[in-house]
Order: sequence, then structure tokens, then C-alpha cells
Amino acid sequence: MRPGILSAHGYDPGPTQRPLLAGALSGVLATIPAIALLYAFGSLQIEAQILGRSEYVTVAAGWVVMAVAGAIYGRAFGRAANDVRGGWLFGMAFGFAIWAAGAVMILPLVSDGRTPAGHSAIGVFLSLVLWGAALGVVHPFVHRPLHERLETAAKRMGSHIGTSRPRR
Amino acid sequence: MLRVVAFRKAILAGAAGAIAWEAGLRTLAWLGFPSFDIVQELGTLAFPNDGPALWWPAGMTAHVLVGAAWALFYAYFFWARFRWPPALQGLVFAALPAVLAALIIYPQLQLMHLHQQVVDLDWKSFLAGLEQTKLSGLLIGHALFGLTVGAIYTHPVGYRADRQGKRGYSPRRAVRREAGKRRPADGSFIFATGIECSYPTTEQERWRRDEMDSTRHYDHWQRDFELARRIGVTHLRYGPPLHLIHSAPGQFHWEMIDEAMADLKAHGPEPIVDLCHFGVPNWLGDFQNPEVARALTEYAAAFAARYSWVRFYTPVNEMYVCARMSALDGLWNEQLCSEAAFITAAFHLAAASVGMSDAILAARPDAVFINSESSEFYQPCCPDPDIQELAELENERRFLPLDLLYAHEVSDRMLASVRDHGREADYRRFLARKVPRRTILGVDYYEWNEKLIDQDGHERALGELFGWYVIASQYWERYQRTMMHTETNRIDASDAPRWLWRQWHNVQLLRRAGVPLVGFTWYSLTDQVDWGIALEEALGRVDPVGLFDLNRDPRAVGLAFMDLIDMHRDVPEFRDCTALKELLA
Repeated sequence: MRPGILSAHGYDPGPTQRPLLAGALSGVLATIPAIALLYAFGSLQIEAQILGRSEYVTVAAGWVVMAVAGAIYGRAFGRAANDVRGGWLFGMAFGFAIWAAGAVMILPLVSDGRTPAGHSAIGVFLSLVLWGAALGVVHPFVHRPLHERLETAAKRMGSHIGTSRPRR
Repeated sequence: MLRVVAFRKAILAGAAGAIAWEAGLRTLAWLGFPSFDIVQELGTLAFPNDGPALWWPAGMTAHVLVGAAWALFYAYFFWARFRWPPALQGLVFAALPAVLAALIIYPQLQLMHLHQQVVDLDWKSFLAGLEQTKLSGLLIGHALFGLTVGAIYTHPVGYRADRQGKRGYSPRRAVRREAGKRRPADGSFIFATGIECSYPTTEQERWRRDEMDSTRHYDHWQRDFELARRIGVTHLRYGPPLHLIHSAPGQFHWEMIDEAMADLKAHGPEPIVDLCHFGVPNWLGDFQNPEVARALTEYAAAFAARYSWVRFYTPVNEMYVCARMSALDGLWNEQLCSEAAFITAAFHLAAASVGMSDAILAARPDAVFINSESSEFYQPCCPDPDIQELAELENERRFLPLDLLYAHEVSDRMLASVRDHGREADYRRFLARKVPRRTILGVDYYEWNEKLIDQDGHERALGELFGWYVIASQYWERYQRTMMHTETNRIDASDAPRWLWRQWHNVQLLRRAGVPLVGFTWYSLTDQVDWGIALEEALGRVDPVGLFDLNRDPRAVGLAFMDLIDMHRDVPEFRDCTALKELLA
């Protein structure tokens, strides 16, 4: 078997990158179309009903959760998240995973088995896949201006990079 | 970037996989074996109360889109992970969507078809909905999908050697220039990087590898030059695509590179133009063709006439490696495995290099030639005389192309081989040649350049045993020419900064030993594709060896090189490189 999934990139994000911040901001931005879709399918109301919260609280909580999820995406995918061509696919896969873990598994567990069905289930699924795709699309562009400048990063890392102190 | 992915091919494969699934299961249903109808399941989500005329196109469209997404996922994450036949790779991969479909998607589809908005989930009854016939249908469908995707999605990089018409540079765009003011480089130590530009053929000359295409340099050439400037290199090893430019005898598509060359001329870094990098145009065939030298001489003359401002040239890159991989190891171009073919290729490459140098000198008498060659060393594993002789043979053979180029006598054993293959007269002509004064011996070094000959007579990579200092010293002692470290990198990106500094310390040590050493290179600017397997197969695997990755985001070694250059370029011994000044005078 050949090297692991992200080995070509190196598992570390690049030395000038800020993946957590970029991911969180991208997650927040990607939530806008996702909420629109939830609303259009009537899923927002159903989710709020299942959770026993108002729609506003549900949206606010969703935004926070999606910012955290975006940060996890930025860190987990590291350099790959900056791929303009493939970002949408990585994000969509991540959105699918969030749907499978969150909407399919966790939501029924925390709500005594109550779960969206019919149109609202379609809405939940599509909104998370759309969220992921949007996250993947916007991440490289959100991240670009957040990168540390080459010149300052080179100075910060200095000539000791790659070396270690001798053990005595 | 994880892999270089052929998007169109992957989407086509995914769509074909979805169609194969539908055709297969529809045929089974027609034969009386109904199973799982994914198209109906998807289509009736949108058109629950309508006939097949509406739900079938909708369902099929959704199925094709999902298939394309999975195929792209396969291309990024699974393709070429195992050394299996492509169709089998696809079949195994299909287990992933099959499991997800059975455990998650199918139950969720049942939920989505309900006419209510909330349900109280009963897990047992829910999963019980997946009957054996439907499960069989899911598995058969996914198997058909996987086999089809696997069979279609191969060769994500490169292109058919006879279909290269549409390749080439993107038009110039407005770019933001962030690099500082260009510093005059004349006579200062050369800090260089390069654009990886190999273009050999494989698969019996049917498939063209083109690293500038695979690494998307043709799309990002302006950005690449700007990144090189920002790193602070003074020179850029740059190889215009000979196989695309020199499309027929006497025919050159210079318009392809005019903008790129103009950009380098205006803003730097100063190019070290690499005219032949492991391949020749289709019409020339391969390095067994005696016309190679004449054709490449014509190319070099035309290049030097058009870009008369270019002063630094590498006429032929790594002649030994090119001859070895093409004619002795059977991996590239002619793909032969014989001493005779190796000798032929080596003589043709050396003749080409000589002819090109002479042609360039006719147009630009003060041209400087940097003859990059891979530094090699073979160590016998044991006192077995046969193994020792084999190592000695390899240690003599590594010098053959440079011996020809630099009019140096070959060893007795190599001379016998040259005689046996009817090349003695040619050899004598090389010996009689006067080598141009402004010639620099470029010595490349990678961790696999030092090899052990094991007890079975096979080569094994030895890692960095003696190091560049020792190996380069052997080349210095033989040729006594001004030298430059012209290539190095490290495939383990996390260790690359350490490797960079180790190489740099080797360079400094050799300079202090009195060797006229004028430059140092990290090769290349960006990651490379499939060099970990010597371009042998078109897999599209990214080797993280660049100063920048293929998204053009910096790697740690990029910052380390930047810091190294910044630290040394104004130190007097590097700002005024005596050896280079004497050579350029």
C-alpha cells in the first residue's frame, strides 16, 4: 500500500497558514446558503421543534456549531483545503460526514428518536451538503489574505528550522 | 493538492459508472429479477406522483451527479493507492459507497419518501426495510459502478504523445507584484531554484509525461516567476517545452513562450535555460536516432537567435540519467535495456550538447554553459570480486557522457566498450574538442544518488552515506572545472529544511577547500508529480519536494531557503563571487 491520504501534503498545514481561523470564518460564511435552503424546505422549523428551541436560537446555535466544524475542516484538511479545484469536493465530503454523524446519528439520540422526515429530511441533507461544498469553495479565498507574509514567516522560523538541540 | 486529478476523465468515469449501474439493473429487472431501483428512488423524491417520463430523467441526472462526485473522490483519495489492475481498484473502492448506501442512504431515502415532517425513529424496524433483493441490487449496482470507474479512470497526468496540440501556456494576466526591487546578479553567488520540466515519453513512446503540465506551470507561470522572485533566488533553471515548440524540422512555436521569456527578461530571475530535459519531440522519436544532435543544434541556434539576451544555458540536462533511464533501465523514451543502446544514447546526447553549445556561442559568444549532471556513486556491499567489479563498472560508466563533453579520457574498460560498439572514431573527435571556457559543471545530488550493489548484483539506495562534499569532490578531481550545486530536494517534506542546510554546509565546505563553486540550487520551485517513481507510471502522485506546494502555498523549506539566501547574499564572499566573476570576464 502506498502512503496515506494526505501524505503528499504533509499532515501539517503550511507554515504561513492560519487554518483554524480561515476554517471558522469559511464555516460561518457557508452557513448562509445552508440556512436559506433549510428555510426553503421547512426544515428549520422542524429542527427547532425537535430541539425544543426557537428558530432564532436554532440558527444561532447552528452558526456556532458550523464555525467550529469549519475550523475542524481547515485543520484536518490542512493544505488540501486550499485547493481551489478540489475544495468543493473535500468540503462536500465533510458536509456529508457532518450530516451522517449529526443529523442521522446524534439528532435522534438527543431527541428521543425524533428525527426529520419527508421534505424536511431532504432539506437537512441538502443544506449540509451545500454547506460543505460552499465551505470548500470559499475556504481558499478566505484563507489567502489571512496567510502570514513570506518575509515575516521566514524571519520567524529562522535558521534553526529542521535542527534540534543536541542531547547531553 | 493530494493527487493531480484529471477532472474531465473522472467525471466521465463517474457518469459512465452510473449509466452502467442503471443499464445493468434495468436489464436484470427486464429479465425478471427486480432489485433496487436507485433512479426511481431519487426521481420520485422530486416527482412523487408522476410517471417515469418525469422521474426517470430527474433520478438519472441525480444518479449521474452523485456518480461523478464519487468518481472524483476516488480519483483524489483512492486511485493508485494499491498496485492493482485499475478495474479492481474501482471495484474495491465501490465498497465504501455501498456500505454508506446500505447503512445510511437507503434508510434515509425511506424517511425522505414519507408524507410527514417528523417521525419517531424505531431503529430496528427502519433497518429491516432493506430486504435481501434490494441489498443485492445495491451491491451489484455498486460493483458495476466501481468496475466502470476503475476501468476508465487511468492516466490522470500526461497525454497521448501524438495528441499534444492544445497544450501550452495560459495568456498573460495582470498580476500583483510583491517581490522587492530586482538586485543586479552579475558576479554574485548564484542562488537558484527551477521549474521542473521533464518531458520523456513512456509506454513505448505512446504517452508523454510533461511535468510543467502536471504541476500546472502552464497555467500559473506568472505566479511561479513571482514566487521565485519573492524567495530571493538570483537565477531560475527553466526548460521551455522542446517537444511542443519544435514541432517539425525547421518549425518552432516560439509564440508559446514569448510572454514567459519576456517576463523573465523584464523582472527576473535570470534564467538558466534548459534546452533538452529527458525527451525529444515526437517526430525525432528517441535518443537512438542519429538525427537528434543535428535537430537539437538547429533548435538551440534558433533559440539563441530569438532570445539573444539569455546568457546561461544547460544544453542537455543530466545526460547520464537520460541515457541510463532511456536505454539501460528501459523506463523512458526508447525503453531499451542494453549497453549498446546506452552507449548510443550517451554519444547522441553528448553530440547534441556539443552542437548546441557551439550554435549558441555563434550567436552569443559570452554564453555560459551549466552542464548539470546527477552525481552518482556505487559502493560494493562485500569483498566479492564480481560485486566489486560491478561497482567499479558503474562508477566508470557514470562519467561517460561528461567525459565526452569535457574531452576527458574514459577508463580502459569504458574505452573497450566504446570500441566494441563501434564508437571509437566518434570518441576521438570528442577528445580533440576544445571545451568552451565559460563552462560550469553542475552537480546534482539526492538521497538516492549513493547506491549499494548488493550480493545479488542489484542496486539499492544507500541514503546519504558520504554526502555531496565527497561525491562532488570526485567530479572536481576528474574535471577540474568551475562547479555549481544544481539540484537537490527531499521527498520527506518535514525533513526538507534540515536537508537544505546540510547541502548548504557541504557547499560551504567545498568552497573552503578551494573548489571554485559558484551556485546552489533547491530543485524545484513547486512540488513534482510522480518523480517518486521516476515518472515510470502516470499516477498523478504529488511528491512534496517543492519550495511551494501545487496550490503555491509555501512549504517550510521555502521559508528556510528564503532565510538562507537573505542571510548570505550580502556577505562579501557571496556578493562578489570571485570564481564566477573570473568565468564571466
